Amino acid sequence: MAGEVRPVNRYGKPMAVGSVVLAVVAATMVLPFIWLALSALKTRAELVAVPPVWAPAVPQWRNFKAAVSEVPLGRYYLNSFIVAGAISISVMITSAMAGFALSKYAFRGRDIVFQGILATMMLPSFLFTIPVYYMMRHVPFAGGNNWLGYGGMGLLRSRLSMILPFAVSAWGIFLSRQFIMGIPDSILDAARIDGASESRILWSIIVPAARPALITVGIYTFISQWNNLFWPLVVATSAPELATLTVGLKMLETSFDPNRNAHLILAGLTLGIMPVMAVFASLQKYYVRGITMSGVKE
Amino acid sequence: MRSRTRAAWLFLLPALVFYAVFLIFPVVSSLYLSFHEWNMLTPPLQASSVGMQNYTHILRQDPVFLKALWNTLVFVAVSVPLSIALAVLMATLMSRRRFAGLWRLIFLLPTITPAIALGMVWRYLYRPNYGLINTLLNAAGIASQPWLNDPATALMSIIITAVWAGIGSNLIVVDAGMRDIPEEYYEAAAIDGAHGWQRFRHITLPLLKPTLLFVFVTGTIAAWQVFDFIVAMTAPTLGRAGGPVNSTMTLVVYMYQTAFEYLNMGRASAMAYVLFFIVIAVSLVQLRVFWRGGVENY
Repeated sequence: MAGEVRPVNRYGKPMAVGSVVLAVVAATMVLPFIWLALSALKTRAELVAVPPVWAPAVPQWRNFKAAVSEVPLGRYYLNSFIVAGAISISVMITSAMAGFALSKYAFRGRDIVFQGILATMMLPSFLFTIPVYYMMRHVPFAGGNNWLGYGGMGLLRSRLSMILPFAVSAWGIFLSRQFIMGIPDSILDAARIDGASESRILWSIIVPAARPALITVGIYTFISQWNNLFWPLVVATSAPELATLTVGLKMLETSFDPNRNAHLILAGLTLGIMPVMAVFASLQKYYVRGITMSGVKE
Repeated sequence: MRSRTRAAWLFLLPALVFYAVFLIFPVVSSLYLSFHEWNMLTPPLQASSVGMQNYTHILRQDPVFLKALWNTLVFVAVSVPLSIALAVLMATLMSRRRFAGLWRLIFLLPTITPAIALGMVWRYLYRPNYGLINTLLNAAGIASQPWLNDPATALMSIIITAVWAGIGSNLIVVDAGMRDIPEEYYEAAAIDGAHGWQRFRHITLPLLKPTLLFVFVTGTIAAWQVFDFIVAMTAPTLGRAGGPVNSTMTLVVYMYQTAFEYLNMGRASAMAYVLFFIVIAVSLVQLRVFWRGGVENY
């Protein structure tokens, strides 16, 4: 460092001052997770010890086994994976199609449709909850002996009831439209001269060219659906076997006494979030792109 | 040309069908329900009409609804600006810094974790007797606080957690916005002798305006619908969420209970419409205030 100019930030302030503040706030971001991981390995007595103990004397690995024996986290993992995965795929496909239509074609009503889709992002989701729930319950020919519309459970006993209400995303359409607008028209025209149909242009030119945007849409959708609680909770009331991981984590508190068996709840929480955290953290690039691309830049 | 128009509508078809079924129809149905008394067990078209009674009841005779409205307002008014202000501070401190990706990742950890899990962990951190937070406060010579156990402090405790969890996603957007501001501006300002605050006030803030508008509007819409943290931090079961003595009851939690615990669909729909009008009105005011000279198409 000798001989170098003292590093300053954009505001002429020494970096060192900022480092301290950043480090303190960053520590608060990490500390709850460290506490969680350590507490999952504690005994019941260690969790309520005064003064508190930081690390368990002997790590109680069996806490994990005990937690899973009551709450089938593996099944919830699978449910979440299927639901979030199916939604992501559907959102990617429908976003590519609608984004293409709204960016590369001129037709009457296009701007109204686009603005309408954007406006849906302002609607509170509870506006849909009750009618969609009722609709799902009364889908004919589904959920057993329900062909007159009453008596059965419709799609509420099927994962479709968790997937369908999120199958299209206004944000996904917006993002892919913005991206596809940047693909030069000359490529499309050249393909048309070669006799390519419009759907061939979509799948062979637009989708490969828009891959970065579509992957971002898919990963961002997956993560937000993985973390979604409200709707899966509504549906899982009538179909507990379909509960996703977020619903399952909440069930830890009804399966175990939150005071007497806190160590088991914390073990369940650790199993429920730590592995996914590692995966999602490795996808940081896409997630960040998903947030930053969503409209901040033209 | 005509075949191209047809292709465009075909590509839009899945999205349009989706919006008709899962958006327009439910929104209209909810409006209908909000003027009726309906428990979801009878056919909806046979529900008895009650005129404006659902609205007058919740706005005049339902102290819990008014309490939920007030709590939600406090939650929005405190958590959104605070989280954004902290994000701006952190992004400022991160400028010109190495390992920016690593810092971002640390702040993102709460954002990529389900809010329900974060809330459940914080509930343990807030425990009055053995909780980590009171332990740290005591070590610093500050008396223990009741946090979630006291109606006077419960909502603030949840706000703290929500702010903590929300910094990351705001930081990503704000950080990207700040990176778009060319370094030369700051170098020129340094040569002109502008000090730190002046540079922030006259370079960063004006150029960051679209970014700030975006995080404010989207953050506010999401905050009005706060649900996960309340459910996670106030009770093991949903029916009892919002305590102690309704001090943390929010609109969506109360709507959920009204609809799915008390089966009062009409009243819950009326609440959803009240929330809808509030969200629209607040968003418009925000756009106005930020954009005195016409609303930019962000």
